[in-house]
Amino acid sequence: MPLPEPPSRYQLAVLILFQEIRSLLVAPALWVMLIIVSLLVGYSFIQAVDLFSQASRTALSFPDMASGMSPLEGIFVPTFGAYYLTQTLLMPFVAIRLIGLDKQNGTLKLLLQLPLSPLTLCGLKITAMGLVWLTSLIPAFSTILLWQYWGGHLSAPEITTLLAGHGLYSLTVISIAMFAATISDSLPTAAMFCLAVTLGSWVIDFAASGQSGILKVLGSVSLTGMLRQFENGLLATNYIISFLSLASLFFLLTVIWLHPGYQLFSKMGKSFITILLLGFVVSSASFTPRYLDVTENRRHSFSPAETRALKKVQKQLTITIHLDPQDSRLLDMENNILAKLRRSLPQLRIEYKQSRQKGLFSASEDDNYGIMEYEYDGQHEQSYSNSKNEILPIIYKLAGLQVVSDSLPTYQGHPHIVNATGSRWWFYIFLPLLFLCAGIYGRKGIW
Amino acid sequence: MNKGSSNHDLSVIGMTKTFGTYKALSDVSFDVFPGEILGLIGPNGSGKSTLLECITGLLPTESGTIMWQGKALSLRKRKQVLWYQPDDILPFVDQRTSTTLSFFQRMHGVKKNDLDHLVDRLELFPILNKPLSALSKGYRRRVLLAIALLSKQPLLMLDEPFDGFDLRQSLAVMELLREYRKDRTMILSIHQLSEAEKICDRFLLLDQGKLLAIGTLDELRIQKDLNADASLEEVFLAIT
Repeated sequence: MPLPEPPSRYQLAVLILFQEIRSLLVAPALWVMLIIVSLLVGYSFIQAVDLFSQASRTALSFPDMASGMSPLEGIFVPTFGAYYLTQTLLMPFVAIRLIGLDKQNGTLKLLLQLPLSPLTLCGLKITAMGLVWLTSLIPAFSTILLWQYWGGHLSAPEITTLLAGHGLYSLTVISIAMFAATISDSLPTAAMFCLAVTLGSWVIDFAASGQSGILKVLGSVSLTGMLRQFENGLLATNYIISFLSLASLFFLLTVIWLHPGYQLFSKMGKSFITILLLGFVVSSASFTPRYLDVTENRRHSFSPAETRALKKVQKQLTITIHLDPQDSRLLDMENNILAKLRRSLPQLRIEYKQSRQKGLFSASEDDNYGIMEYEYDGQHEQSYSNSKNEILPIIYKLAGLQVVSDSLPTYQGHPHIVNATGSRWWFYIFLPLLFLCAGIYGRKGIW
Repeated sequence: MNKGSSNHDLSVIGMTKTFGTYKALSDVSFDVFPGEILGLIGPNGSGKSTLLECITGLLPTESGTIMWQGKALSLRKRKQVLWYQPDDILPFVDQRTSTTLSFFQRMHGVKKNDLDHLVDRLELFPILNKPLSALSKGYRRRVLLAIALLSKQPLLMLDEPFDGFDLRQSLAVMELLREYRKDRTMILSIHQLSEAEKICDRFLLLDQGKLLAIGTLDELRIQKDLNADASLEEVFLAIT
């Protein structure tokens, strides 16, 4: 008997993609999430605009203060913070359905008999989720359009980077949710697994703030820590690759563990190889990072003249810091100087001496407390300053460099006064009602 | 038993499956002839569903080979050769029944007329706009049967196809299966022996994962020295 000619792979893929999208659209969890997104984003946006407007009133009277008025930091990072919440706490419940529900009701047993590989099937599922995720951006795009309509300033590179960060974060959470559903016997167990990863990541990031050593490293590579780089307007290849690798890892583990017909040791072997390969990719990326500061005020970069000069410091510069990790001077120095030096200097070594203060105003047990030592090519300098204006000249002096400052225009800031209360109707009434109606429509199986 | 020869559609050779220390299938070997309906008979927990899932490749086995027309069947190739319809599933449970049926119709490259014919035969028209989750058990079984019969693979394996049907409905389903058996081989896992006797050509008796007997009803009667009018139920009791 001749075997039947199956429909083309493309036709099958399109059919399954639409079926997966329909499965997500009929799920009440999606529409509940969208309603909550709308309310949270609206609340965050209105609050942020209100605070920004109050600060702008002062800044317009005192122009020196205007340079601190960045719409990215003042409006959009807090507004997108609502997305972070929903991506962390709610999206797993939607994404878990992609595989969890199919496993629970037996659909997966039929899908796995179709002439498509588990890789294609998972690819179609994550594509469907990605397309549905785009609908959750309606409130976000509303805030961008409203801000522009009100005459507020927008920086496309900053907003794009922020969106890219949330996109990569969502992709990773979706992959984790799919893997959790694949290896779990029930939807609640999968949800707990996924939340353990996303909330655990947040806890690590929280615990790592102001810490040093391994905790600090863990905090910087946690999902929340990686997202913060995008929120800060810094595009770093190592973070992009880490996000993509993490998402790929969980996606590929889903593919490996999805089909119940393969032997356990075969799945474990493939998983081990996948972890090794992606681990190699991430570590390679972390050795040769490339950075792009997309902020308008270039707060992650030195001036071009300073950057050019620092590139000429070819030998190893060692900075020894005698400060407690919790000391505000060190925290300030980390953000304003050390992070920039790490990105600018080819060879930099920073040592933290574990000295401590007894109390807030008491003297330190260590006589060297507060000193920053600089060693370069056998020369030694030290200073108590954590200011860029003192530290950079020390480095130039040690390296024997003469630097002529660029005459760059200073960032003027974008103070803007807006009354956002009118947008409440859109975020609190219209959008939630729209999502509610769509959910009811979908519940009737009309999609 | 003529293992692996090409005058059989399907040959299962030495299939063993364990769950931890429990042996669900123990060195099961049998052949299925082209165009026949083979009934898997056995008490609950005898390994019927496990056997079907192992043949489909949805469960890994410790040992065993599956052959189709004399050639070993890889997991990928099985998708072209066989379709297995599990018993207790609710595919795309929240979607309209018509959407689900239409999905499988297009997935298998079947004409719309064929789907309409099945809808007509299984009297599904009244529930087409309802989701599977809102249907009674009887309707759910009919929808599952429709999905199974939409498949085009030459070997169709159905797990408990008569479960949830009354006598009249069971007879109608049997008639439908006979209609669709043209050019197809079927393996039906059935625990109602009276239904199995009416539709199956041969019977495979499983108990505690072991193959106890295989053959036509007459062959099984002779094997156990039973009268020529002994029912499958009597044969089953004699063997187990």
